[in-house]
Amino acid sequence: MSKPKKITLKEAGALVHDGDQITFSGFTIWRRPVALCYELIRQGKKDLHLFEVQGGYHSDLLVGAGCVKIWEGAWMGQEMLGKIGENLARKQIAGEVLVDDYSHGHTAGRLMAGALGLPFFPCALAMGTDIFNPEYDQLAHAGLRDGKHRNIPAQKYVMAKDPFFGRSDCVLLPAVNPDVALVYAPIVGDEGTVRVLSQSYNDAEVIKASKKVVVICEEIVPDSYLRSDPTANLASGYEIDYIVECPWAAHPTGSQFYYDSDATFLKDYNRNVRSQEAFDKFAKEWIFGVDSHEEYLEKLGVRHLEELRASQIMGYSTRMKRGKR
Amino acid sequence: MADSSEYCKPGEFKPIDLLAAAAAREVCDGDVVFAGTGLPMLAITLAQKEQAPNAVCIYEAGSIDGRPLDIPTSVGDARCAYQASKASGLFEAFYGQLHAGYVDLGFLGGAEIDKYGNVNCTVIGDYNHPKKRFTGSGGNSDICSYAKRTVFIMVQEKRRFKEHVDYVTSPGWRVKKWPSGEWASKQEVYGSYFKGGVSTVITDMAVFRFDETGEMYLDTVHPGFTVQDVVDNVGFKLNVSRVSGETLPPTKKQVDLLYNKIDPEGIFLP
Repeated sequence: MSKPKKITLKEAGALVHDGDQITFSGFTIWRRPVALCYELIRQGKKDLHLFEVQGGYHSDLLVGAGCVKIWEGAWMGQEMLGKIGENLARKQIAGEVLVDDYSHGHTAGRLMAGALGLPFFPCALAMGTDIFNPEYDQLAHAGLRDGKHRNIPAQKYVMAKDPFFGRSDCVLLPAVNPDVALVYAPIVGDEGTVRVLSQSYNDAEVIKASKKVVVICEEIVPDSYLRSDPTANLASGYEIDYIVECPWAAHPTGSQFYYDSDATFLKDYNRNVRSQEAFDKFAKEWIFGVDSHEEYLEKLGVRHLEELRASQIMGYSTRMKRGKR
Repeated sequence: MADSSEYCKPGEFKPIDLLAAAAAREVCDGDVVFAGTGLPMLAITLAQKEQAPNAVCIYEAGSIDGRPLDIPTSVGDARCAYQASKASGLFEAFYGQLHAGYVDLGFLGGAEIDKYGNVNCTVIGDYNHPKKRFTGSGGNSDICSYAKRTVFIMVQEKRRFKEHVDYVTSPGWRVKKWPSGEWASKQEVYGSYFKGGVSTVITDMAVFRFDETGEMYLDTVHPGFTVQDVVDNVGFKLNVSRVSGETLPPTKKQVDLLYNKIDPEGIFLP
């Protein structure tokens, strides 16, 4: 139980190894550890196994850049700013990425079991759907449920009788304990206390379930400030292994009370990555074409970033143009 | 000035306005509503400003009973949590609210539907070798599993209203019992967990409901369309014996609320 170590973006990237199972904080286009995902791409990671409650820009990027072998999750897209994850869709169809579908409730439950140190999670959600069709179990088809892969359970699910009250059958879902959690939080204390400023999504479970936890944040503040209002905090410092201070690290996803999700950037991304060549061109410009995160921000420009800046009262940008009228 | 409670005449509203108004009418005052991004957000907000001021909205990212001043573009948006009774997370939304049985009404979308209300939002083609990939389930199957009533808002096309959908993402009234795969009623599969299911499908042409056997029937046809138009755009034999008439158009007040109060920025409405 020691304080988390402060490291650089490059050092954080090096903590992820080829073949690792990784998971992320955030929800679709909010609070994603994007700067860290750019770094994983620059470092050329391979064969990653993503487990996500649901994906977004950050994970579609990793898929597009060829870093991902397996994607397990419930949903992939940019919500109203781009309906599907274009790279994942393309690579699933091409057979280049193994996709294993669950529902949101399932992925949240699997992560919660992992977070609590339990072997499985029982629920009665999405029964009667093809999520449970054995013919569609992609990891089984690929021979990966043979007990030799540390992050892949021997079965996708088990239908079980209730041994206590004799109620109807329910589903047991295997716990998930990823190798690394890549977490974005707006504020972290110098002893590692983590605070998020709105909905908590699955961020607390992501931290607890994972073996190694890296938090990338807007700012590191004295822990005493966060400890003056403990009800507002998400996680304790001893649950965190590494901290990276990196303003605007979630861009183009949003961070409540810091900046809005970048609607223009995300819409353009989704329109522009519908082929591998187009994605490679995007990556060349925005990931490989900048030497540092600071250079990325300079490329975006002060005027654009100022439009995204959140109101300190409302929590989102009141200046950004969102619609057409 | 004309009475704003008056119904709009043809030409005074757009198809999307009618869709939002028809969906809003499905909300009862006091309902706990679990809504997805987009049109469902317009519908629930419209209902709250009219006949259902005490309806509560839960978004799956974790905001509970928020009172957004500006329409969100994501259910994880900071806007959703403005004035919320609680800013929680997905575990609370899916288990603390949905699994716990608080949710009266789910508002969802989908790509394909069959006559029992099974909905696909995952892939087109064989799942093992898909032709087209969509977003996947997200909360769709969970909400449809556990809300007492679920309303689907969809595009009307023959290829989307199918005898069998390519992948069952969300359970209708007759589903497969896994792992064996035999067909069974939803009530049988869910047993003591059964809460209800898909009640209404609203498209750009018509409103559909489900009979006692769980089969879809045509209820009302939107102004400008005929029963035959709808039948021509459904890929299975549709029960038209219960048609109750024409779908009510939006009122002038509803259109005013939609464009001037709910979405003045023009995010969803053109």
